[in-house]
Order: sequence, then structure tokens, then C-alpha cells
Amino acid sequence: MMRQKAQRLAAVVTLAAGSALVAPGHADALPAGAPRSGMVCTPGAVSGGTHTFNLVAKTGYIETPDGNSVFMWSYANADAPDSGQFQSPGPVLCVTQGETVVVNLTNNLPEPASIVFPGQDAAVAATGGAAGLLTTEAAATSGTVSYRFTAGSPGSYLYESGSDIAKQIEMGLYGALIVRPSLGPGYAYDAATAFDPAREYLLLLSEIDPDLHHAVETGTTYDVNARRDRYFAVNGREFPDTIQDNGSGLLPNQPYGALVRIRPTSPGAPPALVRMINAGALNHPFHPHGNHTTLIAQDGRPLRAPGGGSASTEHFGETIGSGQTEDFLLRWDDQDKWDPNTNPLPVAPPNYRNVAFKDGNTWYGGSPYLGYQGTLPTGVVSQNICGEWYFPWHSHALNEFANFDSGFGGMATLLRVDPPGGCTGYPTLSTIVGGVLKGGTVADLGVDDTRYYMVNPRTTTRPTATTATQTSITVASAAGFPASGDYYVRIDNEVLLVTGGQGTTTWTVGRGQLGTVAATHLSSATVTALAVDWYAAVTGLPAGAQNLKVTYKGENCGSTTATTCVAIGSNPPQQTVKICNWTIAGAAGCSSATSAGWVALPPPPAQPQNVGSSDVTSTWTLPGPASAYVGTGSNGGQVRVLVHTQRYTGPNPAPFSTWGNLMALTYDAP
Amino acid sequence: MKAMARISTRREFLRAVGWGAAGVAAGGLIGMAEQNSPLGARRAEAATTALSLVATDGYLSVPGREGNPLYIFGFVPVDPALSVAELISTYKGHTKHTAPTLEFLQNDDIKITLTNLGLVQRPDLTDSHTIHWHGFDLPSPVNDGVPEVSVAVPIGKQVTYFYRPHREGTYMYHCHFEDVEHVQMGMTGIVFVRPAQDGTSIGGFTRFAYNDGDGSTGYHRHFAILFNELWTNFHDGDRDIQESIATDYDPQWFTLNGRVYPQTVLPNDSTSLPADMRIATPNPNYDDAPDYSQPNSALIQVNPGDRSLLRLANLGYQQHSMQLPGIPMHVIGQDAALLRNGAVDTSYWTNTLYLGPGEARDVLFDAPGYDAARPSGSDSWGSYNVYYFKNRDWRKLANFGSTAPGPGGMMTEVRVYSPARPLPAQTVVSQTYV
Repeated sequence: MMRQKAQRLAAVVTLAAGSALVAPGHADALPAGAPRSGMVCTPGAVSGGTHTFNLVAKTGYIETPDGNSVFMWSYANADAPDSGQFQSPGPVLCVTQGETVVVNLTNNLPEPASIVFPGQDAAVAATGGAAGLLTTEAAATSGTVSYRFTAGSPGSYLYESGSDIAKQIEMGLYGALIVRPSLGPGYAYDAATAFDPAREYLLLLSEIDPDLHHAVETGTTYDVNARRDRYFAVNGREFPDTIQDNGSGLLPNQPYGALVRIRPTSPGAPPALVRMINAGALNHPFHPHGNHTTLIAQDGRPLRAPGGGSASTEHFGETIGSGQTEDFLLRWDDQDKWDPNTNPLPVAPPNYRNVAFKDGNTWYGGSPYLGYQGTLPTGVVSQNICGEWYFPWHSHALNEFANFDSGFGGMATLLRVDPPGGCTGYPTLSTIVGGVLKGGTVADLGVDDTRYYMVNPRTTTRPTATTATQTSITVASAAGFPASGDYYVRIDNEVLLVTGGQGTTTWTVGRGQLGTVAATHLSSATVTALAVDWYAAVTGLPAGAQNLKVTYKGENCGSTTATTCVAIGSNPPQQTVKICNWTIAGAAGCSSATSAGWVALPPPPAQPQNVGSSDVTSTWTLPGPASAYVGTGSNGGQVRVLVHTQRYTGPNPAPFSTWGNLMALTYDAP
Repeated sequence: MKAMARISTRREFLRAVGWGAAGVAAGGLIGMAEQNSPLGARRAEAATTALSLVATDGYLSVPGREGNPLYIFGFVPVDPALSVAELISTYKGHTKHTAPTLEFLQNDDIKITLTNLGLVQRPDLTDSHTIHWHGFDLPSPVNDGVPEVSVAVPIGKQVTYFYRPHREGTYMYHCHFEDVEHVQMGMTGIVFVRPAQDGTSIGGFTRFAYNDGDGSTGYHRHFAILFNELWTNFHDGDRDIQESIATDYDPQWFTLNGRVYPQTVLPNDSTSLPADMRIATPNPNYDDAPDYSQPNSALIQVNPGDRSLLRLANLGYQQHSMQLPGIPMHVIGQDAALLRNGAVDTSYWTNTLYLGPGEARDVLFDAPGYDAARPSGSDSWGSYNVYYFKNRDWRKLANFGSTAPGPGGMMTEVRVYSPARPLPAQTVVSQTYV
């Protein structure tokens, strides 16, 4: 049944269209520099072999995607940048096997509270506080207790309240405890459970009955047996909030996102690790779309056969019991590698007149192929960045895949499959800053084919005749010739060096350059530049893009008029490809060929390169944040790449035409 | 009514539960029995299989709701040659639950066309539908059937999904459009993929659950049984234009292949069956003319000594604890994965099979010898020993509102027949014999 949704779709939009919207301030429960997705460990304080965390049990509120606000209890991190503001769930505590773990608890709740560490092998010693039923408790209203234990077997664990548990755990007093093996951060347990440390994910499941929370908030009674959960959370958020970034300012009290990202893997490359913890009272059957996951451990115990071999199992659905933890490896080893050009799906994508887009909003990119985008019908809002794929991971108790009464919510997140090389963008704008268009359009730079974007050198004329010794000449126009710096031009069979008057129509010239002989020239003789400059721009880059790679493929042809590329047998032109660093003083938007903002792309390959009449393909990498290269304001999201080609070497350089075949920008999307 | 066109180059095709019952002419809609070749035939190369499903509404019957059938949505298999207009005139408002069991061969190319016929009872409700092959590896989102991350099929439209399954085993499929509602409304079925190993002879078997290499997953007979629940709120609410709150979920009936006991032990539906062996549901939108909307039997008929494979999948929202008292169960696969890790055998024997929503299990059991002294019965085929495959949670063995004596709900029978009249070799999954 179609229903009007009260979901905060605007919040979802922020995820994909970060370039268009200014993300609100970061929640400060997380350490500085926390990644946008993936598990975020709480640093704590490490001194010798002791790892100390300072937690505060307190009250606060969370928000649900249907617009509700729910009163919660939780543990906050007193050492966080926000000095212990409320957060739900509690901080992720990561320790290393064998460390002495100290957890100091300050209780700001109106009743005694505590922490138990189920699954830890060693005894937990408590200092301060008072004896409770299951463990030592911190007294109500700013009581304290300190727990100390030796981190035991590696694995994923829960920590939770040991006081009035039917109420306090439901209210939110739980968090994840991760024990890493001494082997290193890229291992879950042992050498057989190596994973990519950049792809470590935590999915902590829980449930909420808002009636109980309201009763606690208002001090009224509540029958636990009447519990009817309405919200089902992953990492303290309900879908679609689960796919917001870690520390999103939209969810100030729910700092942990649950978006799982992977790229196609190849056999032998390490998989992603997904740690699942069920903090709730119900068992949850969790269904990962897209690929089987491999269960490698349960409750911090690797699955091994009695003989020692791995007894891991593969799943497209796995029920994780109340209080249980399970660790999974995830791979994306593609077998079919569907590709629109080389290996198309045997069934063509559906015609849009035969399909519907739900709620006018989609994560679909308009193409069935990974890394490709297509056009979507007018009015459909796309959350897709560059043709990445999305699959829901959700509880298959489908009543939990809902926010109270609206579906596609609750205990769910998305798996995002990124294109293998990252996102790829192609130019949508081009400007010739030194030269004239011979033929083609910017679209020809988007496909590696036989169509080229072709630029000829700029020309002008001499209004009067030229003697063989004249060193000051006037030209009809200086437009398109460099405004500064020495450069060569050619008149008939003579190459001249312009050394003065650049940017004006009266030039000081040196005669008979680069192996040519000074000669007389008739009135109206053509003056041809021996260089071309043009740039193209990829637009729409999301804020936070990283690791730019620029690929350019092109050639230079010996004729400015022929329709096929005339060979250049010797003395090839030199090509320098530059990128606009918009932040350099005087860059002035890189609007001219000589702008200070153009910086040559760093080797490898070294520049300039000799490029003759065969296509040369080069890819340059700019590691790190891309922010300096992404325009802002009216140039927002724009990356400009300039191709400068000159033929300033002897003997006797002749005019040429620069033909661009392909220009592409790849990047890691945020 | 036309017989299903053979547009496939495959010799084996869709095998819908009940359409190939030996001794039972094919069901009322589609004639396929005579076209079924024996299972296990091997082909030299991968082939393309195409089939067509429609999505629409209808009604089904459960004890306790006599005279008041439950409103459902569902999938019906149809002749791919029919036009949308022909499909609407024939099938709109006559859906079935469960959806047909689909059988494919590993590495084949599969095209499934879904046509959304719309709803007769709720012309105001313009829901789209999709097919989600639950558990399929590495699909393009456009073939995964999740409308929010791809597309859905609106009323009167057709979309063809494509699959090339590389992993053999038992899966399920369902509509993913507003799935908490549409799955509960009945848009669920089992799909399984036979291993490439099928047709070779290993360990005395020619049919296998998995590419085991050693015959350890070989079987003589196999049965696909889907677990579902029925919750009146969604069914009556959708019928009566009332809002249902998903998190109120509290089902009243617990089904195997869309039937509750004793419906489960009736044979696969067929027009050739006598009236008392069919489940007729008066369709209030067609002057109470009967629909036979629960086509798929859950009856397990075997000969003594037969090794049987249960292909089990749960598309309810609750976990179910299933037992087969008297016969131990060997769980050899789960979630379309052989329970073996290199040299480590991870299969297990159990008397209690716990199956969560969205999970699948492949379970082997060996039929005991026939013993007239054991609990017995007889049916139109002959005398048998009876074993009950049933939920251990006896609250799920009741038919809500029914005054009929005896158990109901999530239970069926394993009938081990007297050697006096052995069953013939099984030619289709879940074949029933009368």
C-alpha cells in the first residue's frame, strides 16, 4: 500500500550531493579525523600496557527518521572532543589482546548503574562503588566505579549494564568492545582472518519500545512483558539515518553510521570485515543483499573444526541471537563483469516507460552497470554519485525493516559497491585559451574512440610587408597569443621569437629562429603560433573527493587542415598537461593560459612529453584531498585540466594541430 | 487456455510444484507434465530459460475463516506469449500463494518477465511490484528487484529480469516493493539451482543438492517447502482500505507452501482431482466462483530407503523450530552454500531445525523401512507409515479460530509407503501421487 512517507529525505540527499549542500557541523563525540564510514574506535588513553576509558552514564534523546524523538540512557565518552555529550550507543572501545583495560564509570543517572563485559575470559576487578546483583555498581547521581580486566581472546564483544537490566539495557546502556589480536589491526583473529583495515565495519543491533522510554522519562510504571518494539536500530540509528556519515551533524547524539562500502575484489586481496553485535532482546535475522557473507566467528570464538581447519560458513541470511556477536568477511569477486561495451547484460535495461521509481527518489544511477550513470526521468531525485551500486542489508523479520508504521526503515543499512577504479568523470566544458577550434566537441573527450576534440594554433596577419631584418612588427590582433613570456611564431618558412610587446599588436621579435632563415614576407602574410592551449573541465565533483587521477590521451598532427591526422615524422611537439589549483594566489580562476593557477601534473610520467601523430595515453595521480583542485562558488565542483602543446624546437618547426581523444578524471567519492 | 509455449532451448524448464504430478493431469492453468523430461539430463552447454509471472490479487482459504477468505497478493506463472491485455482478462484477481517453485540449472541464462496486472479488490491501490531473487550473488541492482535502489514494475507494465546463477542451492524469491506488506500478502516462492554435477553418476546418485564431488548430497526425491505466516491485519486491512502498522505484527496462521495442516497433505492442485482433494476459495470479486489459489502441496511421499532432500526456506517474519520425530535430519546446505569448508565437513545432524526469516536449509533424510506396526495410514495410493514434519512450538500448530479437532498450522506428513505399491521415480520437485 502506497503511503506518504515522513522520512527525512533531505537528510539523505546530503550524503550524495555534498557539493550542493553545506553539511552541518560535525558531532564531536568522535575523535578528530574519524572516517566518514566504517567502525570508529574510541582512542582512550594508553599508558604502558594499560588502556583507560572514562565513561559517563547519562540521559539524552535520539531522533528517528519518522520524526520522533526518543528518551534514552547511554554511556558517553568523557574524553571525547565534546567532553562527554550524550551519545547512543556507547563509545566503541577497541583494545588489544593482553592489554589491561580500565573503564572508569561516572553515573549521572537517577539510579545505580554499572557495566558488565560478557565474554571476557579474565575476571573483572572493580574499585569503588557498591556491590550489586551482577557486578559492582556506581551509585545514583554522580557515583563512580572503576573496572579493570585483561583483554582476552580477540573478537567482537558487547558491554552493557549489569543493573536493572530489563530496563537499563532497553534504555540504551550498551556498546561494542573490540579486542584486536596482537597480530595487528588487519587481522580479526589469526592469519586466516586477515582483512582490509580500511574496510572494517560494525553493525550493532538494538530495539526500542518508545512506550517504555516514555514511562522512564515520566517516572511512570511499565510492564516489560507488554514490550512492543517500534524502532529497530543499527548502531543506534534507524534507516535511512544509518547511511549518514559517522559524526553527521544531523544526528548529534547518534554518531555511528552503518554504511558498508566495498569495491570489487580480486582473489587474494583481503576482504572487508563486518562485526555484528546484537544488543537487543530479540533475535534478528539479518539479510545481506548482493553477496554471501562468510561467518568466521561467533561470540569472539573463531569457527574451527576439531582438527583445526576453518569451519566458517557462508550466508545470505543469518539469525544473530540476543546478546550474540558474529564476525563476517565480505568479498566482491565478480565473475561475469558485465560491461555495457564489452559484455552487455543479455537483457537490455528496462525502458523507463515500463518502470516506476519509488517515492521519486532513488539510489539507482540510471545504468545497470557498475561505474556508469544514465539519464533518469525528470523529477526523480538520484542519490547516486557516479554509478556505484547500492544494496539493502536488513532484518528479514520484515516488521523490523520499518520505522513504526512505514516500511523501508528500521533495522537496515546499505551496502555501497564502488566502481573498481573509483568514480570517473569526463569533461563537460572546454575552453580554448590559445588556439582555434578545428573540429569536434568536448563530448569527444569523453570516449576513447576515433573522434577527437581538435585545436589549431592561433593565427593573425601582418598588415604590411616584412623585411628580412625588421625586429619590430605589428600584427592585426594579439588575441590568443600569450600575454607574457617569450614565444615562437611562424611566418611563411621563417620562425620568429617574440620577446617584447606580448599582449599588444606591436611585437619585438628575433628573426630566423630554430634553424630557419630570416626572409622577407608579403603584406597580409599569415602569422601562426607554434603552441596551443586549451582546457576542459569535469564538473559536479562531490565535496570531499580524494585521490584525483587525470588521464589524457591525444596526439598532434602535421596539418591544420587535413581531416585525417597527418604524420609528424620528427621534431614532435611537447605536451604539458596542467591542473588548476584554484587556491594559488593569482590563479584568477585559471581563465587564461598563463594563469598562475596552472600547475603541471606531477610525475610520473615526467613532463613535458613528446607527443607526435600517434595517441599517447598518460595518467597522473594527485594523492590526498582534492579540495585545492575543485572549484568553488560559480565554479563549484569543477576540475580544470589544461593541455599546453608547443613546438619550440628546431629544426624548422611547422604549425601543427592538437587532437584530444580522451580526458578522464577518476577519484574516490566521499 | 493455452499450454505454456516452449520458448526455451532448455529441455528442463520451470517446474512448478503440482503441475507434474504422476497420475494427476496437469493443473488447471498450464500443461507441462508431458513436457517434463527426467531430472538429471545433462546438457553440453549453458542455455537460456525464459518464463513469465504475473502479479495480482486474489483470495485463499484457511480453517477458521470459513466463508471469509483471506485477501492476498501473489505471483502466477503464465504463458509468455500472452499479451498484457490477455493476461489481465485471464489472471487479474486470481492470484495464488505460494508462487511456483522455480528450478534452474547452474550457469544458465535466465529471463523472468514480470507483468503487474493490478488489483481487482483495490482499484485505488496502485502498488508496483518487483522480483527479488533472495540470496543471488553480485546482481546488478536492476536485477535485484529492490525498488528504492533500482526500479519497480507499475500496473500494466512488464519488465524482464536477468540472472546467471553461478551458485547452486536453495533460494527464495519475493516482491521487494513495500516488502513488509507485499511479502506478508503472499508474494513468495522458492527458487533453486541444480548443480552442474547433476546427471553424472556418483555414489549411486545422479541428482545432487550441490557440486559435492563425492555424492554426499545425492538424493532420490526432493521437496521444496516454504514457511510463511498469515497475519489478518495486513490481509483484511488491505481488503478494507485500512492502515496496518507493521510493528504490530502478530500472525494467526503458520503455513507450509501457503497451506496449513491438514491442507498441507492434500496433493498439488490439479483439475483432475476430486473436489475433496482441492482447496477451493470462493472469490468475492467474481461472484464467489472458486479459485484454486493454494496450488502447492507440502506432502512428502517416499518409498522406504529413499534419500530425500528437503529444500526449506522461511519467508515468514518469525523463526521456526521444525522437527521430524522418528527420522534424524542431516543439514548439508544452508543459504545456497554446501556445508563444507575445504576438507572440513560443517554439515550436522539434528532433530530440531531452527530456521530464521530469509534463511534456507537443505536437509537430507533417509526414509525408514515400512513397518505395519508403526503409526500408519492409507490414502488413495496405498498404506504408509506416517512421520510428522512439524513446528516444535505448538502455538504454531493451531488454526486460529478453527473449531476442527486436531493439530493445524505448520505441519505436514512424511508418508513412507508400503513396498506393496512403490512410488514411481520422481520427475518433478515436490511431486505428489494419488
